[in-house]
Amino acid sequence: MKKQRSLEEKPLADSSAAHRRGWRARRNAPGKRSREKAVSGSAGKTRRRGISPGASIAVLAGRMVGALSRRLGFGGGTSIAGLAAQRVYPNIVKHLASELEYGSVMVTGTNGKTTTSGFIAAALRESGLRVWRNREGSNLMGGIANALVMRAMPHGHLRRKGRAIAVFEVDEAVIRKAAQAISPRVLVFTNLFRDQLDRYGEVDSVAARWQQTINMLSPNSILVLNADDPATANLGRTFEGQVLYFGIDDPALDLDAAARHQVIDTRTCPQCGHNYEYTLRFYSHLGHYFCPSCGNIRPQPDVRATRIHADDFDRMRISVTTGDMEIKTREIVLPLPGLYNVYNALAAMTAAQALDIGWEPTIIGLEQFKPAFGRGERVQIEGRTLRLLLAKNPTGFNEVLRTLFSEGASRHVLCILNDHSADGRDVSWIWDVDAEQAVGHINTLVLAGTRSLDLALRFKYAGMAQDKMVIVPPMPLRALKRQMLRPNRNISRRKNKHAADAAASAVGYLPAEESSQHGIAAALDAAIGMTPVGETLFVIPTYTGLLEIHRELERRGLTPHYWEGQDR
Amino acid sequence: MKRETAPRLTLKLGHLYPDQLNLYGDRGNILTLRRRCQQRGIELRVVSLGIGDALAPDEYDILFIGGGQDREQEPVARDLYEVKGIGLWAAIEDDMPVLAVCGGYQLLAHYYRPAQGRDMRGLGVFDAWTIHKGGMRAPRCVGDIAISWNGGTLVGFENHGGRTYLGTARPLGKVLQGYGNNAEDHTEGAVYRNTYGTYMHGSLLPKNPHFADHLITLALRRTHGIQAEISQGESETHDAEPLPALSPLDDRLEWEAHATLLERMGLHSAASAALQTT
Repeated sequence: MKKQRSLEEKPLADSSAAHRRGWRARRNAPGKRSREKAVSGSAGKTRRRGISPGASIAVLAGRMVGALSRRLGFGGGTSIAGLAAQRVYPNIVKHLASELEYGSVMVTGTNGKTTTSGFIAAALRESGLRVWRNREGSNLMGGIANALVMRAMPHGHLRRKGRAIAVFEVDEAVIRKAAQAISPRVLVFTNLFRDQLDRYGEVDSVAARWQQTINMLSPNSILVLNADDPATANLGRTFEGQVLYFGIDDPALDLDAAARHQVIDTRTCPQCGHNYEYTLRFYSHLGHYFCPSCGNIRPQPDVRATRIHADDFDRMRISVTTGDMEIKTREIVLPLPGLYNVYNALAAMTAAQALDIGWEPTIIGLEQFKPAFGRGERVQIEGRTLRLLLAKNPTGFNEVLRTLFSEGASRHVLCILNDHSADGRDVSWIWDVDAEQAVGHINTLVLAGTRSLDLALRFKYAGMAQDKMVIVPPMPLRALKRQMLRPNRNISRRKNKHAADAAASAVGYLPAEESSQHGIAAALDAAIGMTPVGETLFVIPTYTGLLEIHRELERRGLTPHYWEGQDR
Repeated sequence: MKRETAPRLTLKLGHLYPDQLNLYGDRGNILTLRRRCQQRGIELRVVSLGIGDALAPDEYDILFIGGGQDREQEPVARDLYEVKGIGLWAAIEDDMPVLAVCGGYQLLAHYYRPAQGRDMRGLGVFDAWTIHKGGMRAPRCVGDIAISWNGGTLVGFENHGGRTYLGTARPLGKVLQGYGNNAEDHTEGAVYRNTYGTYMHGSLLPKNPHFADHLITLALRRTHGIQAEISQGESETHDAEPLPALSPLDDRLEWEAHATLLERMGLHSAASAALQTT
């Protein structure tokens, strides 16, 4: 009931424009309902509103700055227009978002934001809605503002807002601000893990911020929560509005004893401080938990995966069950690898349920989903297949490794570890990664990035032979060069070579090779060279590593410019 | 001095509160110690000591305490004081090597005063105390850090809100780059007998193999009475039977990682020196 009410409250606007364009699908029920309303009701009144001066100036300023930035080639310009517009008119986000006919959906959490919002967008598109998104990675307020401003017209209103719904992925640290500005119809929390401790702080402080978000959230919003993650499931306890949970109910996925030492990020029950116990654990702290002291227990999920079977590396067959009274099970084939993507798909299906999207468009949308930038994306290069699997925190990295190595297959891998601020300056998390599960299965391993040596040490201490690793740092070590040259300052050039060789062999490097082995291009070449034609090279980068590899592929003419990517 | 059949040496490491204090990749320190022991024919047994477990000072050869979240630090602080306190004191006074990182370091000083809430009582091993001023006046100390130690350098990453001030405690080293104990007096960490407290993680030991070996040496010396020397000359004199203690390992990768970090902080001569240690 709540859902419908909130739908009708939205200003129905610009229906004739939407008519002109023709909707892709007219079959879904909620769409029809609102269209009828639009035809019979107030559409004419709201169609042309007057100029909204503040918003108008903000939009103009933002778009001008955005255009300028792109013309001058400053990065992707993915949030600068929004930032400028916000500076001019701080309420711009609230103002523009209120014009969306179908409101907005927000997705937040540590891992899976981009894929989940991609899944949701695919389902919504399939149901005939016009879906707007903020660009992947631009998930702070500026990026959200940008997504709206770039679709606004100079008179301060959105264009083509009929049948429009926005799906925003929002950084977990700014969700409170975002939810305050745009009261979302559906708010999805995927999970909470440790991530970038130097930026977000400890897991508890993120959880506290989320709780504040819930406290101020309108009860008209619907919460979609991961039942298996105690940190997110707990958010539903105090919320007055509707809460939908998703989770996995397949006991075959229980972690084996060997992997149970995985780091747990939410250990204790927030109500009594006692440690949780698990009847089933899938990964990290995700599973069927209960508190033996106060009885706090995992909520029964509304959408649950009862059976998960991997047909292939990236074809997962999932049986999804819904309903308490009238139990319905549907099968869906997911085009992405990994248990974490099952959670993402479940989150999206639950969000689609919350929005009253039928099952048919949801399943079609998910099954035809094209992986987002770096989330299993596939690129053909010199006869090899490149798969990009972003891993930005220990849980993400562990799940990527588990997906790659669970079948005992041997793989060719290129890992890129950077410590720029977008990755988190602190790389100590790599020691929480179970690199041990990869050792023995890695066929060839190339390590790159500003912290390639830290990663090499991680693999070394996991038992990987040092000579099996090829390390390609971004730049040469000056001290190493100096050390090779210092002994021979007074010696002639001819002798110089010998001395350099001797010094190099003392440290274990051949200078000739060394000089060319730097930077991301060299790393990619090395990894491709070591991968036989016809096989797959798995690239596991941190966030900025992914950007670098994308830029490099782009330079080689292999991928489109990412900000010109999908329609959005 | 010669041992006939070198018995398989064993060291027992007590890992304090592995479930609560594991925030900053502390597993790396344990993995490093274990592997560096293993390569010398020493078996390192790791025993987890959680809340409620007693600590018998003569059962362990080396102890490690990591850092954790504030909420989880409280029950740990209570347990450390009430359950393990006496055992830990006895061990420390008996020269057991102890490495305490971040939160563990704070808990070994007199007290930790959070920005809000009550003081957390520490064990008082180090004559030092920690104050979290909170707010904008004292932002968190976050970033790469390098300090001088024992004629060389140590590198790591620090991320702490609390500022630690030393009383009579001796610092672990002088800050070359970074914040250190309190971002004011250029000291980092604290030392009391063989107990080392530091804010450096990252993890600390993988990139600082000399420090890892130092701890192993201390443990061997205390438990097995072995005078382990890490000099090359020493190992050559033991012709047929290599010293079961610390023979040099191939640490080029470790030192290169160490030097890379130093170089990024602009400490070029220290970086050259570090590379020459190999």
